[in-house]
Amino acid sequence: MTIVLALAITAVALPLIVLLPPLNGFGTQRDFVGGFADAGVFVLLAIGLNVVVGFAGLLDLGYAAFFAIGAYTYAYGASPFSGLDIPFWPMLLVGALVAAMFGVLLGAPTLRLRGDYLAIVTLGFGEIVPVVFLNADTYTRGTNGITGLSQPSLYGIFGINGFGFTDPWPYFLTVLIVIAVAFSFLYRLQDSRVGRAWVAIREDELAAASMGINTITTKLLAFSIGASTSGLAGVFYASKLSIVSPDQFGFTVSFTVLAMVVLGGMGNIWGAAAGAFIVYEIQSQGLKQLGAFVQSLHVPTLALGPVSVNLGAIDFINFQYLLYGLALVLMMLLRPEGLFPSRRRRSELHATPDDAADSADVLVQA
Amino acid sequence: MTSATAARRPFAAIPWRAPLVAAFALVIAYFVILVGVLADPSQHLTFVGAIPQAQAQFINAVTIGAIYALIALGYTMVYGIIELINFAHGEIFMCGSFVSWWLLTTLGFSGAISDPLLLIGVLILAFAVSMLVMGIVGVVIERLAYRRLRNAPRLAPLITAIGVSFILQNIVFVAISNSIVTTPQIIPNTVLTFGPVTVGLINLFTIVLAVGLMVALHLFISRTRLGRAMRSTAIDREAAQLMGVDINTTIALTFFIGSALAGAAGVVQGLYFGITVFNIGFQAGLKAFTAAVLGGIGNTTGAALGGFVIGFLEVISSVWGQGRWSEAVVFGMLVLVLVFRPTGILGQQLGDRA
Amino acid sequence: MKYARVGAALTVFAVVASACSGSTASPSAAASGGASGGGATIAVKIGTEFPMSGGEAPNGVPAANGVALAISKIQVPGFTVTVSQQDDAVNGVHNPQQGAKNLQTLANDSSVIGVVGPYNSNVAQAEIPVGNAAGLMQCSPANTAPGLTKTWGGVDPVSLRPTNPTKIAYVRTATTDDLQGSAGADIAFNITKARTAYVADDTQTYGKGLADVFATQFAALGGKVLKRDGIPGTTTDFTSYVTTVKGLAPQYVFYGGVTTSGIGLFRLQMAQQGIANIPLGGGDGISDGPAATKSTFLQIAGDAGDLNTYSTTAGPTTIPNAAQFAADYKAMFNTEPGAYSAAAYACTQVFLQALAKVGPGVTDLKALREDVRAYVATPANTYDTALGKFSFDANGDTTQKIISYFAFDPATKNWKFLSQRDFTAQPLQ
Repeated sequence: MTIVLALAITAVALPLIVLLPPLNGFGTQRDFVGGFADAGVFVLLAIGLNVVVGFAGLLDLGYAAFFAIGAYTYAYGASPFSGLDIPFWPMLLVGALVAAMFGVLLGAPTLRLRGDYLAIVTLGFGEIVPVVFLNADTYTRGTNGITGLSQPSLYGIFGINGFGFTDPWPYFLTVLIVIAVAFSFLYRLQDSRVGRAWVAIREDELAAASMGINTITTKLLAFSIGASTSGLAGVFYASKLSIVSPDQFGFTVSFTVLAMVVLGGMGNIWGAAAGAFIVYEIQSQGLKQLGAFVQSLHVPTLALGPVSVNLGAIDFINFQYLLYGLALVLMMLLRPEGLFPSRRRRSELHATPDDAADSADVLVQA
Repeated sequence: MTSATAARRPFAAIPWRAPLVAAFALVIAYFVILVGVLADPSQHLTFVGAIPQAQAQFINAVTIGAIYALIALGYTMVYGIIELINFAHGEIFMCGSFVSWWLLTTLGFSGAISDPLLLIGVLILAFAVSMLVMGIVGVVIERLAYRRLRNAPRLAPLITAIGVSFILQNIVFVAISNSIVTTPQIIPNTVLTFGPVTVGLINLFTIVLAVGLMVALHLFISRTRLGRAMRSTAIDREAAQLMGVDINTTIALTFFIGSALAGAAGVVQGLYFGITVFNIGFQAGLKAFTAAVLGGIGNTTGAALGGFVIGFLEVISSVWGQGRWSEAVVFGMLVLVLVFRPTGILGQQLGDRA
Repeated sequence: MKYARVGAALTVFAVVASACSGSTASPSAAASGGASGGGATIAVKIGTEFPMSGGEAPNGVPAANGVALAISKIQVPGFTVTVSQQDDAVNGVHNPQQGAKNLQTLANDSSVIGVVGPYNSNVAQAEIPVGNAAGLMQCSPANTAPGLTKTWGGVDPVSLRPTNPTKIAYVRTATTDDLQGSAGADIAFNITKARTAYVADDTQTYGKGLADVFATQFAALGGKVLKRDGIPGTTTDFTSYVTTVKGLAPQYVFYGGVTTSGIGLFRLQMAQQGIANIPLGGGDGISDGPAATKSTFLQIAGDAGDLNTYSTTAGPTTIPNAAQFAADYKAMFNTEPGAYSAAAYACTQVFLQALAKVGPGVTDLKALREDVRAYVATPANTYDTALGKFSFDANGDTTQKIISYFAFDPATKNWKFLSQRDFTAQPLQ
């Protein structure tokens, strides 16, 4: 219930925040709500990846592939291309299930191996999936993508039929509800037997196995739950945009979501969500506003010896991935638990001298 | 899944059967190409007519394979010694190509150098500078980003490596060029004929250089004191330390050599293709990693073989008219090998450390 | 065309930022205020929707400049016109999700009467449904994917208009890729007299569309396509494809794609294997500047590779008032116009001319937006613009279907204008 309450407060508070100066200068409330709805997709992606990376300690580098699979599943379920028009709400589940299925197919053989092999297999899978959507054009319309996907509808409940293209509010509320459901599900899971098994595996897989935990199925569960959340996000994304095309699901999406989770705090659902929200807003609005702001200052060109720096001419957007990269490295070195850590994860990631003594590798440091 | 660290022999000597396997594989690859050329419906070639083309495609495959092999060696060496998938390695290759671009353009070269002595001198200089610079960059990265995480959970160095890869790529993107850069092709575009076989000078140079570096690496690892230190560190870091091996120096040396080889591959990239661009490292790195996995990660001989296999896979996709699927073929191979034969083609026991 | 030349981006960006803030309010307000005889003017806006930040800013900024220039030069009595500028780049790359959101933002601002943009076809796919639902007319100076306006690959563009299937709210001044593919076939068959061809593409929307049409048209003219390849845009090693071409010995090579996906490199490797005597043709994706400019097709292909190459651009090259436009643009922004500056200028002229026709007497902004949309969507209306005179057909495509032909000129080491063909007056078949 607390989650529902917290999200209800978010639903009211977020749109009100934008009325405050100086934010109100950047757009109307509707503009902000539209942006929040888009950010919601990444919040979903991040809390899903958090299950894989944060809870189970596995690295999934092809996360965008499941996002793509969810989106294309919706495109097959509700577009003129397939001739079907299955309603959005069941398709949410279908998309999640199909993505989970691919997750199991990919994870089952791989999760038997060591953790970093999963990272590579998923990276390869993430490269293959867009190529397949691109080249199998008979079935996917190739590079043109599938267009005209149906919009969600409430069939007249609250007087809402199709969500339409102009009003962002229904999408904003929908994504909040989907996030709330995912949140409460994941919270329960985290505190359940399975959640504790994930922690055990993450901290010491051998010990976990010897305590009777089936490490493969437990890891597989985490992996497929992550995949299904990604698929869910894909269905929502596709329905809001009404198109899918292969170029929207590249490695940069996987990388961005990973940066969101690491920044926010691995293992902490709220942290991952906050990381996603903040990073999304920075990349879609923040850096552009920063550029405009610096230009408006009319800083004179600085001459530092032979190098002259014109701050006004710097396009901050170009530094986006450089900043992500720096953030990943610095976080791992200095604050591996993220900006909003979970208590347990923090204690794990800061190896105390006691922990290190367990490891033979301590000799290396000597 | 044995958790027997001792069973791993990452820098193992070349198995006696490796040359036979390689020769056999090359013959098979040649015939796959030949059949592809013969089967090409647009050409209607006779068997005799197809041979020169198949031979040219074979050279193409070996040349690109040599580049992948050079990159793959660095992946496999680093993995062998600290079990880290160094995602930044592909970007080292990219940076190496930019170092040689910078050097050659600064020296004022723009095209082929016809004076053989000058050419050899400039080549030695380009390779020396690029390999040295990238070797140092590799060591610095290890020192700053990876060393502190040697005892951290496995996830941490992996994520750091991804971060480093984005840092390198975007430093070049922001500071040097956000688009394709043309590099001087100083080796003359000559075709050499050896009886029935014709081969471009640059192709021959690339293949000889790569094989030479591989042999040198093999001799270094198997015959020298430092090489022995590397092998022992890879097998059991703790025991090696007890036996008086300086672990930090040995690991730094591994990074230096691996990165220098990637730097050499970067120079070849510029000489062979005449261009470089900030984002070539990602795809090339992933393909080279596939090569390393194919050969059995941690195994240097396997990585070299794997590089050639990837080269052949790409050329065969193109010859068979399926070029648009070449990426899917290579990465599909990566997934399949990891799933069904994670020990690679030269398979040795590589269990789950758990 | 999607990827224009990258160069002088930062300076352009700096200039336009100051220029835009200057032009949005004062000059047009003063001028139109005077024209309407001191009476109250209605404030309306024209939206711009382009990638304005990051690596793709060099595409979007010159187009947005074209809009700013038009608004400062042209006054509509009774109206004060300003610009509402949007940016669809996220992380420096055009982003359909951001584009759709931007169009919603523009649609929610009732004073916006029309939108110039977007630059990229997949952004347009996400925006057309929004504009259609809002009844807000969009004019793209740069989108060339045929499927946005006409049935293509078996799919009817009506699927992009689910809210009001019969209402057109998207027009474009750019001619579609199929015409450039036809023009490529025209060059190959009629100018170089080639009868056999090898056709490749970079597997992307633009490149594949171009190459598909080339293959069809070249065959229809009586030529023979020997082989059709798709080569991923990330490829750097084209040697095996070039070896195949060498074996095929075609009389022409057509490559659909853009410079960044490696055509220059393909040509360079053709030269290295000694087959640069075979002519190579492409679309405006390779018509990106002289060999002296960094990262252009002509620079990458090298001296030997440049010979015997052909390219096209969508739109006319000889326009009566082109010189005036270029001079005005240079005076305002202190740089040469970009590839789509003139087209963006023309799009703005379309809106301003429509506003001048339907605007007088209308005070309700909502009605005004619909009147402008309906006027622009009516095929009978013609516009006199920087690109010349044209109107839009029932699909929203320009009736000015002119393609310019270029060939490499060794003397200037640049593309040299050969001729232009009006595909309305002289269809290929």
